[in-house]
Amino acid sequence: MAKKATLLSVYQLLPQTNCAKCGEITCMSFASKLLERRATVEECPPLREDQYGSQAVKLRDLVAPPIKEIVLGVGERAVKLGGKQVVYRHELTLHNPTAIAIDVSDKVDDSTLASRCKLIESFQFTRIGEKLTLNAIALRYASGNPERFAQAAALVTRSTSLPLVLCSLDPEGLRHAVEQKGVLNKRPLLYAATKDNWKEVGSLAKQYKCPIAVFAPNDLRTLKSLVRTLQTIGVEDIVLDPGFYPEGGKMKDSIEHLVMIRRAAIQREDKDFAYPILLIPAVAWLGDGVDERAAAYREAYLASLLLTRFADMIILHSTETWEILPVITLRQSVYTDPRKPVAVESGLREIGKPDVNSPVLITSNFALTYYTVSNDIESQGVTCYLLVLNTEGLSVETSVAGGQFTAADVKDLIASTGIEGKIGHRKLIIPGLAARLSGDIEDQTKWEVIVGPRDSSEIKGFLEKRWEVRKA
Amino acid sequence: MSDRVCEPDKLRDDAPPAADVKFPMEIGEMFEGQRIRRPDMYAEFGGVDVPKKFELLLVKAMEEVEDGKVEIIGPDLPELKVGGSYTLGLLIHVAGKKIDKDIEGVLERRVHYFANYIEGVMHVNQRTDVWVRLSRKSYDKGLNTLRWVGRALILLFRRSLPIIEKIQITFITDPTMLEDYYQQALEVYKSRDERARGLMEEQVEEFYSCVLCQSFAPTHVCIITPNRMGGCGSISWFDARASSNVDPKGPNFPVRKGECLDPVKGIYTGVDEVVKERSLGAIEHIRLHTIFDQPHTSCGCFEAIAYFIPEVDGIGIVHRDFKGPTVNGLSFSTMAEHTSGGTQNAGFLGIAIEYMRSAKFLQADGGWSRIVWMPTQVKDRVKDSIPLEMFGSIATEKDAKTAGELKEFLKGKNHPVIQRWKEVAKEEAVPPKEEERAVAAEETPTVIPAGIEIPAMAGGFKIVLKNARIVAEKVIIKRAEKK
Amino acid sequence: MAESDKTRESRERSGSQGDLGRKFLELVEKFGEIELDNVTMTVDELTLMLQPSVTRFVRPVARPEIAPPIAKLVDRLVEVEFAPPVETYPAQVVEVQLGATRSEGGTRRKVVKIGGAKTLPFYGFEGINPNGPAFAMDVFDMPLHLPKAVRQHFDDVIDDPAAWAKKCVKDFSADVISLNLISTDPGLKNTSPAEAANTVENVLQAIDVPVVIGGSGNKQKDPLVLEKAAEATHGERCLLNSVSTDTDYKTVVRAALKHNHSVVAFTPMDINNQKKLNRLLLGEGLPKTQLVIDPTTGALGYGIEYSLSLLERIRLGALMGDTELQMPVLSAASNAWGAREAWMKIDDWGPKEFRGPLWETVTGLTMLMSGADLFMVSHPATVRVLKQIAENLYGIGETKHSIENWITALG
Repeated sequence: MAKKATLLSVYQLLPQTNCAKCGEITCMSFASKLLERRATVEECPPLREDQYGSQAVKLRDLVAPPIKEIVLGVGERAVKLGGKQVVYRHELTLHNPTAIAIDVSDKVDDSTLASRCKLIESFQFTRIGEKLTLNAIALRYASGNPERFAQAAALVTRSTSLPLVLCSLDPEGLRHAVEQKGVLNKRPLLYAATKDNWKEVGSLAKQYKCPIAVFAPNDLRTLKSLVRTLQTIGVEDIVLDPGFYPEGGKMKDSIEHLVMIRRAAIQREDKDFAYPILLIPAVAWLGDGVDERAAAYREAYLASLLLTRFADMIILHSTETWEILPVITLRQSVYTDPRKPVAVESGLREIGKPDVNSPVLITSNFALTYYTVSNDIESQGVTCYLLVLNTEGLSVETSVAGGQFTAADVKDLIASTGIEGKIGHRKLIIPGLAARLSGDIEDQTKWEVIVGPRDSSEIKGFLEKRWEVRKA
Repeated sequence: MSDRVCEPDKLRDDAPPAADVKFPMEIGEMFEGQRIRRPDMYAEFGGVDVPKKFELLLVKAMEEVEDGKVEIIGPDLPELKVGGSYTLGLLIHVAGKKIDKDIEGVLERRVHYFANYIEGVMHVNQRTDVWVRLSRKSYDKGLNTLRWVGRALILLFRRSLPIIEKIQITFITDPTMLEDYYQQALEVYKSRDERARGLMEEQVEEFYSCVLCQSFAPTHVCIITPNRMGGCGSISWFDARASSNVDPKGPNFPVRKGECLDPVKGIYTGVDEVVKERSLGAIEHIRLHTIFDQPHTSCGCFEAIAYFIPEVDGIGIVHRDFKGPTVNGLSFSTMAEHTSGGTQNAGFLGIAIEYMRSAKFLQADGGWSRIVWMPTQVKDRVKDSIPLEMFGSIATEKDAKTAGELKEFLKGKNHPVIQRWKEVAKEEAVPPKEEERAVAAEETPTVIPAGIEIPAMAGGFKIVLKNARIVAEKVIIKRAEKK
Repeated sequence: MAESDKTRESRERSGSQGDLGRKFLELVEKFGEIELDNVTMTVDELTLMLQPSVTRFVRPVARPEIAPPIAKLVDRLVEVEFAPPVETYPAQVVEVQLGATRSEGGTRRKVVKIGGAKTLPFYGFEGINPNGPAFAMDVFDMPLHLPKAVRQHFDDVIDDPAAWAKKCVKDFSADVISLNLISTDPGLKNTSPAEAANTVENVLQAIDVPVVIGGSGNKQKDPLVLEKAAEATHGERCLLNSVSTDTDYKTVVRAALKHNHSVVAFTPMDINNQKKLNRLLLGEGLPKTQLVIDPTTGALGYGIEYSLSLLERIRLGALMGDTELQMPVLSAASNAWGAREAWMKIDDWGPKEFRGPLWETVTGLTMLMSGADLFMVSHPATVRVLKQIAENLYGIGETKHSIENWITALG
């Protein structure tokens, strides 16, 4: 395995003068930011000096993720591909969520093209406080007319700020498109160089300094050879498409190739495969007489499969919400940093239609806990208020032990949510796992504390037995 | 076994107590936090108003313990005045084949938890600070003799700790009888503490491991020796030993020392074997008493971090409660991110604060003579363990907030670490001397023969090759385009 | 270009190199460009001035202003070698058999084997794992509220567990039946263990595939229910679902040993807890070949990533030699139905008829790719899709369409 960067090993390659030109008070602090990928080597001005030449090179190599990070597009909606550090997310975390591109054909008329682009650009779904969006447009050269392809490309760049993937195996089409005014400075991805067109397409990429995709379906040797050849002529930003067969026995090789590529790059330092992977679940739509819903269904679960096998970018065809929803949800889940607990917003929730006599429960803001509790009581038909305490995303048991769930915090939460104004009683039901705080909480809040069950599935039964508040 | 990290003994709320006993009160974890306020109490034992009280658990030989016996020396509850404060000696004798004196303290700490599981009983502190309150309501419902408390405690001990084969409890409530027992208790605490502090790695056959944190850090294993606690601060060698005896299938198990390859750094072949196995090969070697070069790993719940301060070639300490950056520019939480996760991070080590009291505290790095900075809170807490001559030389956040200030401070106090500054030569940036293959094999560089000057443009840089052999498949020399 | 005195001096100092340099200059002046093959230069000191055309810090690379036509530089693809990066592992996952044939003491026509993996899931290039995934469909011993997408398939059998089980096998190709005895819950019908055992027998008689016997989730009652069911199905190699650290696992293990069944060890997403439970069960004498792990499957969007990483860690651990994790893994993908995305009617999200099954399918598929061996599933579409994908990943099935021309073929 490649040598791992640590605080000290990074620090040793810095000037160690604490000059603070990078904005950090010490070089050690800058080293920490570099490691966390919140700073780049470029941000240390002294490193550009002659005397630090070799150090700078070594440093860049040390902190660079094994999988190259490639930026597509410009501005706010530029998207980073690759940049992965590990094979399995539990080893660290996965960086740069899989970019999702939706395809458009250059055959459709301008207004259809523009409106589809707008639709893709504006797609947004909020989940656990995070805005989930689509990331790019993949324009396909289907018309056969290079002028049309170029026009369409220009139109797309005008209609949307999303990055563009120019899809054409015909170098002529690509050339027209990339030379079209306004297209190049949006930093598009050229798709793709193959064993048949690599000279022209490679030359294009080199000339215009564009990122380029390499496509060799189910043929890793050719893929590698293409990459090596491009590297030889000085192309650096490469994206790999090893091909994905959506059905039949060829899927086996497709999926295995993904493992080989990623493992070779990260665990065996194979520089030819150290690039982001692009896959096209949209191939689920290929074939005659395809039933639309069946194809969309297929595309959804195949895209999900690829998310679990190192896809750094995928191209989809459909934009139906029901189909995109599981894909973006899985993407959000897989790219959650396993080192950080997932938290929901703290505050007050109403379950059912609670009134002044309804019970008040409290739980932590660890997403898993919160969803388990809320799903349980919702599906049980319980009516109550649910206070959600900010325990920094830790579970009840952990936060009680660790001091993030305290009586003082509960008191503050009661005050900030104004719950006292919504109910006629002063009884708080705490999770069974927080029993040891019962006295403390009573002392601080002056409420009566009832220790509830340890498992939220027992809440309904518990309330039926123990909750009695006579209506006024 | 501290409750903080280890699982508290799981007690099923609904499980009935011993079949033939019907307690007049409930017993369960849900009562753990129950508070009994003065107006609600029947009586209290110990507490601030009572000068002498104690709680002591002793390990005895099998024949010395009468299993299940509860004795009361002095008045029982009905004879006490309601609302009064009384003296108490709570004495527990246990025996069992697998129990040795080493785990007395560990078992004694359980009294606090078990007592609190009893409805109507509130237990606070331990040893000579013990304080117990009984609720009026529970007295009226039938908890009207200390015998019930005793029987409940016996039940809880027996059920949670099967290695206890015999147990008896004595409540001493007669102040005239207390004194002898009290003095005896003091002796026991003293010798326990002395043994705990005095025990060295060399004197024991085995260390212990803890894998409780592996859920959070799969490659992490804590090695616990008499001179090295778990980073969480909750598990001493005695705790781990007890836990290992009580629950051999639990998170703590013995670690054979093997051969000691280096007593100063703390390198043991047995330790390396276990670490390698438990981390599934991710970590192969650890050294117990250093922050450099293959240090011990941490999971994430450590109390403090020992970190290298390169500007002064010294080691600083910072604890979890310290907010804001330390002299190296990083805060505890930032450093914690790099120190945790079960990786080996030379220069940064998660530790328990108690480890600073260890006789082998970072001995491979120079121990206390290398410590240059720590927060006031920590310094106060461990001041008894800081060598007198070092005390004034170790800076706190009040003395120095930056590396520059620290350097001045250390100079002014003539800190031993200054010696190291003179020994280490400063490295100069040197252009690469070794053979370097040019990038030409894969790229097409423009090679300018020596002798032609080209003005350096902004952003350009030069590479100087000395004693180099350049091999290229192809070299292309072009005339530069005129601007 | 005129030489300054300074450069002439240095050139003269360089000796033969200086002559060569001048020669090059002359040639370059004349032709614009010269190309040298197979060059070896030995230099005392050589200074390269590199002027990248963008002012950002890059690896030292010279970029000519205009790219020469590639044909001059590289006229064919570089030859490369590639060998698949195969890993070998010191250990493997054990195999567990569900169901027993007549000759083995049971009455199943087919048995199902799970586990036995020697590599990571579907890493076929380094080894083919002997047993593919197996799919158990959920059957309940009393009618209960099911999401419409599921219920519509079982309306005609919901009152009759035996008929329900039969339908799952016959119409939907279930490999195994997961019979959930929820009526034994004291909060529902509080059916006695004896009655529940009867139901199990009825179901067993109606089908010829193996059975997973599930309790109601009530921690006190389940061990008794499982014990009785185990007795009634002596020799059938059922899977008793489940025990955890805070249930009476000893009773269940005893029953499993006496009547030749396997046991599910269930823990709530905690690998240490799982290892401890496994240790305890093995310590009670349960052989590894009769133990199945259920580390909890979080529904898509509700903890699936925890399960994903847990399963990857479990499989890696097993292969690397951790004996406490070398058992096949069970995934209750039907947990997906707990997610509101699967059942709630929300027009903005599109028709729930598709959302629901898709939610379960994606949950199950994620677990499949992470190493789960046995699945509990409610919807027929999930079984169909996951079975097919598993087949394809084993290399089975015809690939009808080529993908080379996807760009134009998509229309």
